[in-house]
Amino acid sequence: MIEEPYRWVEAIANRREYIETQLAPGSPIAALSFRDGILFLTVGRARQKLFEIYDRIAMGAIGHPGDIERLRMAAIELASTEGFTRSAADVSLRRLAFYSLSPLLKTAFEQVYGAPYLARMIFAEVGATPADDLFLRVEYDGAIAAAGSAADAKPPGFSVIGGTARGTELMEELLRREHDSSSTLKAALKVALDAWSVGSMARREPAVGENPSRETLRQEREKELQSATVEAGLLERAGTSAIRYRQMSAEELQEMTSA
Amino acid sequence: MTKDSLGAAASDFPALLRQHGLLNEAALWPPAGNPGPTAFTPTQATTILAFKFTGGVLVAGDRRATAGNTVVYDRADKVLEIDRHSIMAIAGVPATAWEMARVLEHSLQYFRRTQLQEMSVDGKVRALSKLLRDNFGFVVQGIGVVVPIFATYDFAGEGQARLYFYDAMGAQFEVAEYAATGSGSPAVRGVLFYENRWGKKPLHKLGEQDAVTVALRALDTAAEADTATGGVDRNARIFPIIKVISRDGIKTLPDRQIAARFNSTVA
Repeated sequence: MIEEPYRWVEAIANRREYIETQLAPGSPIAALSFRDGILFLTVGRARQKLFEIYDRIAMGAIGHPGDIERLRMAAIELASTEGFTRSAADVSLRRLAFYSLSPLLKTAFEQVYGAPYLARMIFAEVGATPADDLFLRVEYDGAIAAAGSAADAKPPGFSVIGGTARGTELMEELLRREHDSSSTLKAALKVALDAWSVGSMARREPAVGENPSRETLRQEREKELQSATVEAGLLERAGTSAIRYRQMSAEELQEMTSA
Repeated sequence: MTKDSLGAAASDFPALLRQHGLLNEAALWPPAGNPGPTAFTPTQATTILAFKFTGGVLVAGDRRATAGNTVVYDRADKVLEIDRHSIMAIAGVPATAWEMARVLEHSLQYFRRTQLQEMSVDGKVRALSKLLRDNFGFVVQGIGVVVPIFATYDFAGEGQARLYFYDAMGAQFEVAEYAATGSGSPAVRGVLFYENRWGKKPLHKLGEQDAVTVALRALDTAAEADTATGGVDRNARIFPIIKVISRDGIKTLPDRQIAARFNSTVA
């Protein structure tokens, strides 16, 4: 019976394995700081994976569309009611993730008779300078990781999610090597596309090498882009409007990534 | 939270607020035994106008807020930006009007964020109408009357500026040329009608500079007879707020441009 502690642990472990299997084929998402804001980038087939949450907060998610939708609505509701009753300045990603979403996810995950949320999310909040940008990775069990690995002494200015732990690791390695928070949007797009490509390769080839060449990454990307498109969103650092998120148009992406 | 992510209420921000007890409809009548707020004089904000010209739609408001005979505030902002292409200008009780503008602003953003598309112009116009209707209790009591103007840019079809005014019960009236509400509005309407009919050019053919002149003259005319309209305070250098909506968004005209225009064509 599930009431016995051992059974409960076992049930949780099974559930974790099940969720990981479901998330594994998900197309990775990279979010990184650049001089003028934060870039979100992924490659997808039909459905949108990057979303505006509030004035300075955006999210990307992989998982079941229904679950992502529920979590997205929850995040927008929380942020909007907070921003309305107090002020936009009181809406904080840290509070949203740690004190609202995390308990919700943990409860659903550990109630073994109910359905867990099949979703892995990445949130970012844009600050006045790249050093003020905040990235949080929120897992289906409510665990939250700040940007990068625990080994990083200072926040690295990026965060990624992939379907598998290996994919995430490879993307982080690449970004740690090549990402620069003071770069231009064009340079950031290039690095983000490379990061996405290495994460994408890891979906099919768990044994993908430590440091695939630019050429290998480009080939991977070209193959994938035959049946999918790049999706990118920006949280802009400066602007006259309080609303800082915008989707990049196909033309803009084309122009920025060619040559 | 997320109790009802399906159905019509999903994208309705006021409904969400009500669910959390954060927004209440104005009570219809004073409670029994209470003589009502007859001795209370609410703060009023007055005189706003808007008209279409070659550059889109111009919305202007004076800066005065009054309570009875008293000037409460001389730097009130009655021309409020609701989203990138919409302005709500308010005449009436600021306490109610500012809250209404705040609800409207959040409603439109909430809709856009949750539904991943912009609300239609008709939807926006209706949303404000609904807020006014919810305020009907205050209107009946005579303490919270708000009579707004709503101006926006409609991207449907070839794109055009749209302009509406409301009555206190929430009926909306779309206008082709100009609108004015508030205590100084009879004078303003007179000026705008005159300019449109017999002026050098009809309003919709005016360039931006001439449009600013007309707006300033209209507000000055209103201030001449209506104590509740601020007009221009030359000593304190307080000028009306003038904003322009076009395809590119909302532009707030800087004080020095308004001052220069005022000195050369109005003063």
